[in-house]
Amino acid sequence: MDESTMNDRQLENRDQAQSPDEVWLNDMFHAYRDACPDPEPSVNFMPAMWAKIEAREESSTIFSRVAKGLVTAALGASVLMGLLSASSSQPVATSEGSYIQALAADHASTLEPLQVERISELEQ
Amino acid sequence: MLVEFELLQQAQRGDASAFNQVVTAYRRRILGTISRLIGRPEDVEDVAQEVFLRLYFSLDQLRTPEVFEPWLYRLTVNASYDYLRKSKRRPESRMSDLSEQQVMMADAAAGSRAQTEESERHRVRDTVQSLLASVSEEDRILLTLKEVEGLSLRELENIYHVNENSLKVRLFRARQRVLKNVKGVTKRRDNSASSGDRL
Repeated sequence: MDESTMNDRQLENRDQAQSPDEVWLNDMFHAYRDACPDPEPSVNFMPAMWAKIEAREESSTIFSRVAKGLVTAALGASVLMGLLSASSSQPVATSEGSYIQALAADHASTLEPLQVERISELEQ
Repeated sequence: MLVEFELLQQAQRGDASAFNQVVTAYRRRILGTISRLIGRPEDVEDVAQEVFLRLYFSLDQLRTPEVFEPWLYRLTVNASYDYLRKSKRRPESRMSDLSEQQVMMADAAAGSRAQTEESERHRVRDTVQSLLASVSEEDRILLTLKEVEGLSLRELENIYHVNENSLKVRLFRARQRVLKNVKGVTKRRDNSASSGDRL
């Protein structure tokens, strides 16, 4: 037999000096193919297959609907929270002067008049 | 290829009739391959339906006709592998149920050549399934595709997406693991035959 006409199995078999067990195993594999012919499909094969396909399609549709609903709900909730946070925030008091002046103005009624003693008076 | 690429394209566009024709063309071959891969006749149709279901939902990814059959084989292998892994069941060894001697006696009583052939096929199925059940699912599937289904190394390359040398190594190791169990099986057969001679 020409090498070009030999298939992979024949090439491998030729290349390997096979033990009796290996020869027996090859024969068993070949016989197994003949002993297990392709079975005939049952009459329910196609209907059962389409039922499975439809069930899978339905479950994926339900999943996508649930996912879309969740996305819409999350979007709505984020808009609502944004509006709530915008309405509840207080206007920030602005002042033209320094930080100390702003504090003094804010607490003018509660603080005693600031008394600044001269260093020279303390030294006396 | 058993179908024209145009038919596959029609199926890709959602034509149920075209998809039916594709399934009809390939189902016997796929059923046969699965039956030899999983060794469980009662579950073969379920696994085959899973293969075609996966095909249906991934058919839009097919671009070239030449990859269709390796791809279908890959889906078959994956579905069979998933089945074997999920069930964790091995094909039951039926050799213990009925010894060769009993089979031969039954054959002699029947005196029918057809029954003798059937008992021989039964013996072969049991022996090979016992041997394949003794190795991992990966080894079992690889050996079945190569040695029983008769796929070439090139076809296996397309299915497994590994190069030829890696495949040869994996095949060699898988065969070695099976060969380790051959002695046990042949010894059991020899014992059975010799006890039959004594009777």
